[in-house]
Amino acid sequence: MSLYAFLGTIEIGFIYGLVAMGVYLTFRILDFPDLTVDGSFTLGAAVTATLIVFGINPFLSTLIGTLAASCAGIVTAWLNLRFNILHLLASILTMTALYTINLRVMGKPNVALIMEPTMLTPFEGLGIPAMYLKVIFVAVCTIIGGLLLAWFLYTQYGLAMRAVGSNKRMAQANGIVVNEKVYVGLALSNGLVGLAGALFAQTNGFADSTMGIGTIVVGLAAVIIGESLFGTRSLLIIVMSCILGSILYRIAVSMALNADFLGFQASDLNLLTAVLVTLSLVFPKLRSEWKAKKAKKEKV
Amino acid sequence: MISCKNLHVTFNHGLATEKLALRGIDLTIPSGEFVTVIGSNGAGKSTLLNTIAGDIETTHGNIFFDNRDVTNLPATGRTRDIARVFQDPLAGTCGDLTVEENMALAYGRGQRGSLSVALNNKLRKVFQEQLSRLNLGLEDRLNSQMGLLSGGQRQSVSLLMSALQPSSILLLDEHTAALDPKTAALIMDITSQIIKEKSLTVMMVTHSMRQALDHGSRTIMLHKGQIIFDLKGKERSGYEVKDLLNLFALARNDGEELDDDKLLLDT
Repeated sequence: MSLYAFLGTIEIGFIYGLVAMGVYLTFRILDFPDLTVDGSFTLGAAVTATLIVFGINPFLSTLIGTLAASCAGIVTAWLNLRFNILHLLASILTMTALYTINLRVMGKPNVALIMEPTMLTPFEGLGIPAMYLKVIFVAVCTIIGGLLLAWFLYTQYGLAMRAVGSNKRMAQANGIVVNEKVYVGLALSNGLVGLAGALFAQTNGFADSTMGIGTIVVGLAAVIIGESLFGTRSLLIIVMSCILGSILYRIAVSMALNADFLGFQASDLNLLTAVLVTLSLVFPKLRSEWKAKKAKKEKV
Repeated sequence: MISCKNLHVTFNHGLATEKLALRGIDLTIPSGEFVTVIGSNGAGKSTLLNTIAGDIETTHGNIFFDNRDVTNLPATGRTRDIARVFQDPLAGTCGDLTVEENMALAYGRGQRGSLSVALNNKLRKVFQEQLSRLNLGLEDRLNSQMGLLSGGQRQSVSLLMSALQPSSILLLDEHTAALDPKTAALIMDITSQIIKEKSLTVMMVTHSMRQALDHGSRTIMLHKGQIIFDLKGKERSGYEVKDLLNLFALARNDGEELDDDKLLLDT
């Protein structure tokens, strides 16, 4: 792998680190499996790219793109909480609707951002080589995002949100308004994912209506890889391991694709992803089974 | 003070499975009184407690706390006044959170969660002090996950948690029923201590006649959603478990056999 390709891998890893944090928030903290992210990743990218092409400041565009993605999360939460639609189904409905909405927002299947100003433009004059600038920029964004998320989870509000995901009845008996926490959690989660989409569009120079497909699987893969490698000792470790898990996942995929003796093509990406995620799901269970077997064999 | 005026609760209204869970409860509990609630399965004991706590909506009638009408206040809005301990030791605590995080949640009961960090060393000291009352060694396990504790330990912690924030009412729903006798006695001991310390208004549902007579200053028995007797003062102090059962048989003189005596005769 060339240095250039490697830096590209790390860059994508950091961007999807934000997705992983969003997925962690819904799947693990709120116990609300949310597939909206497949649509809200694209929504964040589409809104941001379209606004930038309109000539709006890239930072403002990114903010609006992020908020739009948050709203998608709120819609899913509303379908679930107000009408009792199963969370998984509610999120699939929003995701499906978003596909059309994204096409409408862009007015065409994709928007190019080549030659347009992006959030990176102000930093281009600082003398950092262009190939490093992108990685550093997304790394700083993602790490700041991660630190803010960890801090949030340590606050009273964040603690209340964790309680809602763990034991609704207990949360309610302690005066926590359950629905409000779900709304805020989904808005936050999808906002993070939308921000990732906006960053992706600006670093890769385009937004495309199909770019969000499989976002949920990649995010989940990052969360699970992070959890099984770095453990769940503290919230800060968990959040940071989401980012590391995402980077490691990208490295694993690009190594598999680049290893000539394996004979993979770029189009094999989805199969590889599925296999990697399955392995990381299966491995912890197999390991505990092996341990239990070993313990049985040992003489007392 | 809690007062219920002509309280009715109907489940599945208008359906074949319609159930009149509460049928006109009139009950006034003055501040500082400790009421034990007994009755057979399905009598409406838990429904009454859950209705007062706001988990179940009333069909008719009103509920007042200190003359404030709280009938339409949701459960979360009543937590400023009410602390609860559930029957299921797993229900009152979050298994995924640590002991100190659980206690921090209870410490913020009835307040809006702010964006300040939930735990600090000052709070940890308060929690440690409280936990040491239990003599279970939990004061050294603030960082343990709640899910790793035994049912009895979890129930003890949830009892302490109910007393972390000042409240005027404590609702206990068979909170010792799932515990072994020794732990149950310990929990009951601490319960009495806390009630005395904070001079709380208490309602305790129990299946044990012994417990119902030994604790508190008043006993009510529910049957089919109504209060069938209300014992207090001198009259109550003369009562034994046997008398209670006789009274029960008399009151429910509706052809039903007392085949669930065993349930009630827990001494």
